[in-house]
Amino acid sequence: MRYLKTSEAAALLNVSPNTLRAWERRFGFPRPQRSPGRHRLYTHGEIAALRDALLDGLSISSAVSRAREGLGADTNALVGALNAFDAGRADAALEGALALRSLDRAVQEVLLTALDEVARRHGTDSVQWAFAARWGNSWLRRAQRLVTPSVRAITVVLGDASRDDLDIDAAYIRALELLLARSGASVLGLSVRGVSNMSEALAAHRPDAVVIAGGALADDAVARWAYAVRLATGALPVAVYRRGSQRQRVRTTGAGLLPSTPGEAARHLMELASHSVSNPTTSRTTPPRLLADGA
Amino acid sequence: MSSPDRRAMLRLVPSTAEDHCPSQWFCGHCGAPPPNNETPAPPARVCGECGLGLLLEARADAVPRPSDPFLIVDGSLSVCALSAEAERLLAVAETDVINRPVTELVTPADAEAAGPESLAAAIMWAARGEDEPRRVMVRPANVFGVRMPLRVGACGPPRAALLVLE
Ligand SMILES: [Zn+2]
Repeated sequence: MRYLKTSEAAALLNVSPNTLRAWERRFGFPRPQRSPGRHRLYTHGEIAALRDALLDGLSISSAVSRAREGLGADTNALVGALNAFDAGRADAALEGALALRSLDRAVQEVLLTALDEVARRHGTDSVQWAFAARWGNSWLRRAQRLVTPSVRAITVVLGDASRDDLDIDAAYIRALELLLARSGASVLGLSVRGVSNMSEALAAHRPDAVVIAGGALADDAVARWAYAVRLATGALPVAVYRRGSQRQRVRTTGAGLLPSTPGEAARHLMELASHSVSNPTTSRTTPPRLLADGA
Repeated sequence: MSSPDRRAMLRLVPSTAEDHCPSQWFCGHCGAPPPNNETPAPPARVCGECGLGLLLEARADAVPRPSDPFLIVDGSLSVCALSAEAERLLAVAETDVINRPVTELVTPADAEAAGPESLAAAIMWAARGEDEPRRVMVRPANVFGVRMPLRVGACGPPRAALLVLE
C-alpha cells in the first residue's frame, strides 16, 4: 500500500493542498487517514482513480462518483466470490482491494461490507452466509497473526460476547482485534464464557483497558466476566463494542461506547487506553461501573 | 472585383471558423473563466477560482455569466454538474443530485405548446454536439407556478448539454 502526503496527492491531481481539503469537506473524497502525527495520508489508489476520472469528467462531483464506483467494484467482486463459494477468488478480491486502500478501509469498506451484503441477501441461516462468515473470520485471524509485533506499550483485554463465527458481530470483533494490533496494541481476546482463574491470564498481560464486544451473550454472563476482570486488575477504563441496546446500558453504567466502525473503534480505544497509561491514578481509581455493580 | 462582391462570394463558401461563434471556457461550479481566458491543459481543468468545478468550453453565446444558475447534463439526461447559483435557486446540493435525471430538477413548462419531449430533445441535440443554443420554458420541479426560460447549448469536454436558467 502506497501512501501520499497532502502535497504529493495535490501535485498528482494538479491542485493545491487547500483544494484537496475543500474536496474532503464538500465531497467526503478523497478521504485520508491520519498518520501518528495526525497528518493526512492518502492512498495512492484512491488519488489515481480520482485523477483518471477527472480527466474526462464534467464536474468534481461526477468524477468523485466515478472514482467511488470503481473502488466499489472490489466489494462486488468479493460478494460474487463468496456467493460462488470460491475462497481463492475471495482472497484475490481482497488482495485487489488492499492494493488501492489501507488495511483499515479494505476491512471496513470491502470485507465487512461484502459480508453484510451476503447476510442481507441470503439471511444468516443460509449456506452462503455460513461460507462467507467462516471465510471472513479466518481471513481476519490470519491477518492478525501476520501483524509484525511492535513495542506493545498498550494492552487491551477483549471480552468476546458473540455467539460464534456465524454471529454477524464476530467478523467486526475480529476486525477490531486486527486493527488494534495494527495500531500497536497487544490484544488478549477471551470469550466471556470463561471466568475462573481470570487472574492468571491478566497477571501475564496487565491490561490498560477492557472492551466488551458483541451482543449475543446475556448480560449476566457478561457481568460475571467483567466482575472477574475487575477483581483481577482493579478499576480499568471499560468500553462496549457492538453490544445490542448498548446505548441504554451505557447510560446507566458509564462505560465508553465505541463507534461500530472497527477502525474508529480501535482509535477510540487506543486513546482511552493511552489515557489510562499516562494517568494511572485518575483512571484506575475510577470504579468500572459496567455491569460489575450489578447493573 | 470590388470588395463587396468578394464578400458576397465568400459567403457562398460553407460556414468556416471565421463566422463560427468563438468559444469560451468557464467553471462548471462558479462560472468564472480561466485566467486570461486561456485554454487549460487537460490535466489542469480544476477551476483555480473556487477549486470546486472543472473548466468547460462552450460557444460564447451559450456560456453563462458567473451570476447565472446553470446545470450540465449528459446525453442520458443525467445531471453531471450543478452550479453554485443553481444549488441556491433549486435548493439542492450538487452532491445529492449527481447522476439523477434532470427532470427531478426542472420540467418542461410548455407541455401542450411544444411537446413534453422538447426539453429532452434539446438536451440530446446539445449533448451530441449541435451547438446552436435553443430555448425552452421550464419550471423548477419542486415549485409550482414559476416558469423560466432555459437556454440549452453544447459544452465539454466530454460532450454534454449546458442548461442556463435565464
Ligand atoms: Zn470555479
